[in-house]
Amino acid sequence: MISKKIVLTGCFGVGKTSLFNRFLYQKFSEKYLSTIGVKVDKKVVEIDGRKISLLIWDVAGEVAQEKVPQSYYLGASAVIYVFDLTRPSTYLNMQSDLDYLGKMLKSVTLKVVGNKVDLVTAEQIGMVEAELPHPADCLTSAKTGENVETLFLSIGKELLG
Amino acid sequence: MDERLLMNKLREILLAEDREELQHLKKTLDDPQLLSQKISPILEERLQFFKENFPVEFRLAVEDIIDKKLESSREELLEIIYPALGQMIKKYIQHQFQLLKESIEEQIRNTFQVGIIGRIRYALFGVKPQKMAEDILQKLDGPVVEEIFIIEHHSGILLGSASRQETMDLDMVAGMLTAIKAFVEDAFRRGSEKLESVQYGTFSIHLENFSSYYIAAAISGSVSAKERSELSDSLAKFAESELRINLKKRDGSSHYEIKRRLEKYFFKTSTSLPAGKLKTETL
Ligand SMILES: Nc1nc2c(ncn2[C@@H]2O[C@H](COP(=O)(O)OP(=O)(O)OP(=O)(O)O)[C@@H](O)[C@H]2O)c(=O)[nH]1
Ligand SMILES: [Mg+2]
Repeated sequence: MISKKIVLTGCFGVGKTSLFNRFLYQKFSEKYLSTIGVKVDKKVVEIDGRKISLLIWDVAGEVAQEKVPQSYYLGASAVIYVFDLTRPSTYLNMQSDLDYLGKMLKSVTLKVVGNKVDLVTAEQIGMVEAELPHPADCLTSAKTGENVETLFLSIGKELLG
Repeated sequence: MDERLLMNKLREILLAEDREELQHLKKTLDDPQLLSQKISPILEERLQFFKENFPVEFRLAVEDIIDKKLESSREELLEIIYPALGQMIKKYIQHQFQLLKESIEEQIRNTFQVGIIGRIRYALFGVKPQKMAEDILQKLDGPVVEEIFIIEHHSGILLGSASRQETMDLDMVAGMLTAIKAFVEDAFRRGSEKLESVQYGTFSIHLENFSSYYIAAAISGSVSAKERSELSDSLAKFAESELRINLKKRDGSSHYEIKRRLEKYFFKTSTSLPAGKLKTETL
């Protein structure tokens, strides 16, 4: 079975740890415990009869990606860039962040994810999407679980090739 | 004049002075400021006396209370102190042991390398003195390799492992170890220096870097500087002879083979480090 490293990144408080916990342990908490450093765990998923082990790195949020230790990204096969649909400040630096990540990690699978979709109306989503410098690949809710499994499985599928 | 009036008059004359004094006293009592002026010095004095004589007058009573309290909550107290103390003692002994071992090793080197006793023993018993000393030391407190991980740099993906007792999820341990390594190396930027070991209590994890991966060896028991370098050597030897071929494909297919070889190489003896070290042929 092959293993792949996936990094969850983005501003603090956008819900990286919540997505991590939802996907790995099917849990959600309203409490906000800011991540210190990084936490790593893995999950084996089966896609079309093939197994893949996803090693997921939940990194402490930073306002700008340059502040995240580079070594956290090295060796990653996929990066999930999470922003918070309810806080414009979390997608303000998106373009420069994505440029930075793209430059550092050449052939990486990059996903832009808007989280906390349970807190916004369809109309608000439209407004946010109009402002986004880069379209979101997927809108999720760690709270309801919406699209979380789909997100990780789609990444797994791409990594299996 | 009526008798009552007369009496009052008389009282006034007789008690005028007393009255005045009474008035004054009443005023003093009623006015907090005046009262405090009067009382403060007295209180002050008592307090001073108290301060000076407290130990004398109350020592016994206080001691008695403390004694009783300690007696009644002995268990609780032990509960609190014991674990910390135990750890401290254990660590201290371990440390002393390591120092002792290092000094013995040093002495062995000095004495037996060209020593006459060593030669005689060798002639008589056929035992190489260094080997003998080595055996004794090993029996005293041999560090034991408990777990070995071969981990890809950066990604933290586990390429192979062996463990005396399976505990946690090994992939997670490998990932977390890599994250810690990345964190430390990033936080204390020291050029290209790498994290070499992690220590907690009497347990240590030694990290040996190779080009695309590193090997982490978890060891219980004290490790002297010499043992550390021997471990380094045997890890390098293992990497050279066993991993070059087996790590070609990084798809997890050789996990089992690597595990088997690790076990054979590092766990085959009950005492720790692989045999075949200390090759100094002095006799
Ligand atoms: N309603 C709602 N709340 C969410 C969702 N995801 C996360 N939250 C809440 O947002 C807060 C922050 O979530 P975390 O997952 O800790 O955020 P993080 O990105 O890991 O933050 P850092 O570790 O500081 O970088 C918590 O109070 C969560 O309960 C979501 O999908 N919906
Ligand atoms: Mg977090």
